[in-house]
Amino acid sequence: MATVIPIDPVTRIEGHLKVQVTIDTVGGVQQVVDAWATGTLFRGFESILVGRDPNDAQHITERICGVCPVAHGLAAVLALDGAAKVTAPNNALIMRNLVAGANFVQSHILHFYHLSLPDFIDGPNMPPWQPSWKGDKRFNAATTAALVSHYVTAIDMTRKAHEMGAIFGGRLPHPPAYISGGFTSRITSSQITKFGAYITELLNFINNTYLPDAALLSKTYPDYYSRGKGFGNLLAFGVFDLNAAGTSKLLKRGRILAGTSAPQALDLAQITEQVTSSWYQDSTNNLPPTSGLTTPQYPKTKGYSWIKSPRYQGIPYETGPLARMAVNGDYGSGVSVLDRHMARAQETVKVANALKSWATQLLPNGPVYVRPTPPANATSIGLTEAPRGALGHWLKITNGKIGSYQIITPTCWNASPRDTKGVRGPVEQALIGTPVVNQAEPVEVVRVIHSFDPCLSCAVHVMRPAEDAKIYALGGIHELV
Amino acid sequence: MDVSRRNFLKYCGISATALGLSATDLLHLEEALANPSTPTVVWLQGSSCTGCTESFLNRIATTAPVSAGDVLINSINLSYHPTLMATAGQTAVNVAKAAYNRGGYVLVVEGGVPTAFGGACCFAWTDNGVDVTFLDAVKTMASKAAKVVCVGTCASYGGVPAAGTNPAGIKGVKAAIGVNTINIAGCPPHPNWIVWGIVQILLGNAISLDSQGRPSALYNTTVHEHCLYNDEDKVSTFGQSGCLRNLGCRGPQTYANCPQQLWNNGVNWCIGAGAPCIGCTESTFPGANPFYAQTSGGNSGGSGGNSGGSGGNSDTHRRDD
Repeated sequence: MATVIPIDPVTRIEGHLKVQVTIDTVGGVQQVVDAWATGTLFRGFESILVGRDPNDAQHITERICGVCPVAHGLAAVLALDGAAKVTAPNNALIMRNLVAGANFVQSHILHFYHLSLPDFIDGPNMPPWQPSWKGDKRFNAATTAALVSHYVTAIDMTRKAHEMGAIFGGRLPHPPAYISGGFTSRITSSQITKFGAYITELLNFINNTYLPDAALLSKTYPDYYSRGKGFGNLLAFGVFDLNAAGTSKLLKRGRILAGTSAPQALDLAQITEQVTSSWYQDSTNNLPPTSGLTTPQYPKTKGYSWIKSPRYQGIPYETGPLARMAVNGDYGSGVSVLDRHMARAQETVKVANALKSWATQLLPNGPVYVRPTPPANATSIGLTEAPRGALGHWLKITNGKIGSYQIITPTCWNASPRDTKGVRGPVEQALIGTPVVNQAEPVEVVRVIHSFDPCLSCAVHVMRPAEDAKIYALGGIHELV
Repeated sequence: MDVSRRNFLKYCGISATALGLSATDLLHLEEALANPSTPTVVWLQGSSCTGCTESFLNRIATTAPVSAGDVLINSINLSYHPTLMATAGQTAVNVAKAAYNRGGYVLVVEGGVPTAFGGACCFAWTDNGVDVTFLDAVKTMASKAAKVVCVGTCASYGGVPAAGTNPAGIKGVKAAIGVNTINIAGCPPHPNWIVWGIVQILLGNAISLDSQGRPSALYNTTVHEHCLYNDEDKVSTFGQSGCLRNLGCRGPQTYANCPQQLWNNGVNWCIGAGAPCIGCTESTFPGANPFYAQTSGGNSGGSGGNSGGSGGNSDTHRRDD
């Protein structure tokens, strides 16, 4: 008989997420037969931004997420640069990449050791490792002890990655140095040397600890190469511009449709947001973010999430390190729990190596800032990647102020609810068919969820206002922000 | 994670001066930490961004690397923390309930409390099929806590998500539920400030608070007073060395010891990176004014206790680093 199991809170993610799964026995195997990811929003960043000075955007949007603040700061200044038609000096472009890359390294290490690994090891008899769900722990005691030790070392490494980013970013989290027209930090040769020392130490950890541990996980849990597959459609906005125009990137923009091997170009006009399962009026369904409307309607018969469903040509796509590495030709064709972990680990190496090289290209005491001429009216888009996937900021400046500001975050793509056709979001789909041994402690389910590195960074839960409550000023924010 | 007793002591030893601890305090702290009845810490996240947790972990990890064995033996009982705890769902909820039944824990709140729609903008967890709002969870957990510590500006006053029209009705903990809190303000707060607060509680020390509920010991000087650039020329564009008053710096109105502490293990700080202070430790943060608004310029007082006496002087000496 089918059983509906809510998992709430899903822990070891950024923010709050409720996942409800239906578990039944099919073909003699107890497994997930249906799933609903209910992400929630509601801090109302749209209403905070509207009417503000456009140059406040990077500071305000960084506060959407303390784990990927840099991606928001970067997306905001890219949008602002585009609006003002200003080109930041090369030094500034490099610093933007260095701080963003430091955040990638920090976040990926954090994700593997602190957010994911506890799904696979039974740690020491103390918090935060205990209590824990006990099923399917395959590492022996010695290996478990080593992994716990690496968990502890990894905290130092994430700290050092933040310190590395603060050399130019000022501080982390929430670095203040991103600004339209460039970067606020001046550059000294001693800073460059210091950055080099940090990245050398981090590369040592990545190559000698993180990569081997990821390989060990894949060797010990090979069945997770066939779990959590989902749709297999991959999308990346790309990140780490290598020229001022942004036409060359370390990790390219593009998409891969399941069943095809060659990456295809991305046409932003093909992105729409569907709201059939979201608590917004159906009259706003399927609009592109440039003209999107967010008109709440609660309750709503088919609604079960405040997340809209972004779709590309009407199709759900997964974003994240696996999508980036596959689109860039750096990772093979697999899509699964372990493919996500392995692509993330390999991307960490790629980004860290690039950081080491970029730091040497900085010009000490060179220009870092060009004063933009603020436009009275403009529209612009800032596209980049957060560590956990594609991030877009859609900006409209009206009479010198922010007229509207719309954000689609990676987890909006990944944790979206069913669309107009009834097609599940990527996380929901990835859960289907996942075997579950113990319904009370469905560790297999959270392994699949964690592989996406969900970032529901506002720790709010489902917004369920009373039926007669007046909902106002929800504006155009799109996701868990 | 290495929030271990041994690590904690090492940390306090290293930073004793910065934390304002005497040798006697350290001795008492060691005794407190050796006591098996060391309070359980329950850390709840409301309308937050996890940035305070990230900041906290940054600093606590600056001590020497510790072994898993150290961690096993020397734990502070951080029993509930959504970002770190291994378990999930009902078993996680049961951890919080067990702490509640025992009482006497330190309740740390990260993130503001949404109050609109009866708190329904934010649910803390599902307990045996019943959704529990964050508002109700904080009320319940605060009722049997020994102390309530607000970590960050959101938990203290609402912060960024409470700005503008504040459609979720987000409030700080004290405003939302009427309990007394120790406000470790900052967006994020410096890890030293968080640790200082926890240490004082473990020591059983009374904490003197300012008018915004912040520990006076931490927030008694303005950023401007101790800023290395406060006697330099005011610059008018970014990327130059000098005082950032004309670029919107809120240092004169902002109480925090950032210039003395620096950030990220002493690597840097906002003004050190040429970025104006945006006043993130103040109850009014972020406010409606643009961050880069030029201050009226030439005034020597500022509007908030600029006692440095140098705010309006265009000193010809420039520190050329």
